[in-house]
Amino acid sequence: MGLIQRAIEHIGIPTIGISIVREYTVKVKPPRTIYLRWPFGHPLGEPFKISQQKAVLAEAFKALYAIDKPGEIIDIPFKWRRQRYDNYSIEELKNF
Amino acid sequence: MTTFSRFKNRFIAKLLVRLPFLAKRSVAAYHPPESREIPWTPVAKKLNESIVALVTTAGVHHRDQKAFDMKDPNGDPSFRVIDVTKPFADLMITHDYYDHADADRDMNIVFPVDRLREFEQEGLIGKLADAHYGFMGHIMGPHLHTLINKTAPEVAHLLKTAGVDIVLLTPG
Repeated sequence: MGLIQRAIEHIGIPTIGISIVREYTVKVKPPRTIYLRWPFGHPLGEPFKISQQKAVLAEAFKALYAIDKPGEIIDIPFKWRRQRYDNYSIEELKNF
Repeated sequence: MTTFSRFKNRFIAKLLVRLPFLAKRSVAAYHPPESREIPWTPVAKKLNESIVALVTTAGVHHRDQKAFDMKDPNGDPSFRVIDVTKPFADLMITHDYYDHADADRDMNIVFPVDRLREFEQEGLIGKLADAHYGFMGHIMGPHLHTLINKTAPEVAHLLKTAGVDIVLLTPG
């Protein structure tokens, strides 16, 4: 995934990637990444958990605007099922 | 690759979800090319004015498109254009190297089109792009060269030509 991300950034489009395998991301060095310590096949979370999926998406966009150092990986501290997502606010995105 | 090999790959993929410590070994066995220079394009537009496209390596494609080649142990470096004006029921996943049983139930966990459309309706992003792109992960050996030098730049060019401002990438 990071290799494709690098090609897109190279042509002049800013990119943000969601990683669930930090070791790959460290090696491939895409420009901007959020990392979640979640199971394979679940980068946005669990099926039909809309607030969880939105929270991950919001963190990705926040990171897109926050990262100013190429190659930075932001570790998202979401605790899979032990995290409450229903009170997560996406309003902050209106400032970007 | 035999039917048995495909069965084995799917079985391992299921195990990795249930026993995450095994995934460490799987990660150690895969050697992506190490990069030095990091490409960089500053974010120029506000989020609520930006056209956003998705690129996924989760093996997503339309049912009437050719499936990704699961018989080649080095994977398949080709891509599929995904039209999100068609319903999710028109999409499917071909990828034996991760367990996509949950993604088959709700594609948004690997390809969050519904959530992005909600962001668009709420005025958080400018617009969802018309065309999105599906790859499969697990590209190895000679196919890495094809991905890096041919198919990834092709998709980058298509996104640029379409006037896309931001690309979000998701794995399987």
